[in-house]
Amino acid sequence: MRGIGGGYATLRVGALIKLHTIGTETDLDLARAVLRRDRKASADFVQLYSDPVYRYVRFRLQPRYESVDDLVQEVFLTAWKSLAKYEGTSPLRVWILGIARHKVQDHYRNVLRNVQFPDEADDWKSDDLPLETLIASRQSGQHVQQVLALLPEDYRTVLLWRYWEKRSAEMIATEIGRTAKAVERLLARARQKFREEWLRKEAGQ
Amino acid sequence: MSDELWFEQLAAAHEADEVLAPSCLKSRLYSRLIVEQEKTGPLLSLKETQGLCVYEKLIEILPVEQAMVQSFQYCKVCHSRVAGENIENAPIYWANCPYCEFQNR
Repeated sequence: MRGIGGGYATLRVGALIKLHTIGTETDLDLARAVLRRDRKASADFVQLYSDPVYRYVRFRLQPRYESVDDLVQEVFLTAWKSLAKYEGTSPLRVWILGIARHKVQDHYRNVLRNVQFPDEADDWKSDDLPLETLIASRQSGQHVQQVLALLPEDYRTVLLWRYWEKRSAEMIATEIGRTAKAVERLLARARQKFREEWLRKEAGQ
Repeated sequence: MSDELWFEQLAAAHEADEVLAPSCLKSRLYSRLIVEQEKTGPLLSLKETQGLCVYEKLIEILPVEQAMVQSFQYCKVCHSRVAGENIENAPIYWANCPYCEFQNR
């Protein structure tokens, strides 16, 4: 990475140095250089943060990969517009991933706002599947993404939002204008479907 | 083990794979970012910018001081940008060219 004026670092990106290991003072220098419209600093900004942002967004939007590029671009444009507010109190990587998190949640909100939620009167009942056995599977890492990809979009979205984004049912309900009970019912069905697909996949191997 | 706990543990144990952003996406992100920056003012002059590529260096040493010349984004008319935005692992190897540095090789 180049040295600029005060220098945000003296190492080139090609040396595979990750900015988050350099420190927030350096992050602030990079942010200031980008705000000065330094074209090379802007390239470093993209080079340093496109991989973590892309990785995060891609996992959260799976298997709708066609939307990933647009959402990553939105993250970077929002970051540019908000960069003047960055004060260096946290690493720039964390800051930009925070923007990505907001964008992903906007996406989740749009998906879940238009779905038919399970009715309270449904006579649905969860099977008692052996959860300990499932998580103990040595192949669990390979299965998670594959199984998530098999689920209907509303099930996948609510699981990702609840467990990977760590949002409570109440928070999700507030975001989409539903009751917590309705979200819980959707979650229960999503969990059940996930386990069924998981077991089906394991049985097929 | 409860349903909730199992899914919480599963999510904690399985995050995104170590995939890299495609170089075409990085190239398009950079081009778009520069376009957005130009909407709010001129780019930093080449004379104040470090790490210029060979083309930018040629412009920078010209006896031309006009701000417009020094602030123009020359990548817009460069073949490296076109290749970088459209070809994954594009065969471009200029020193100090962002589009070369975006290649995952």
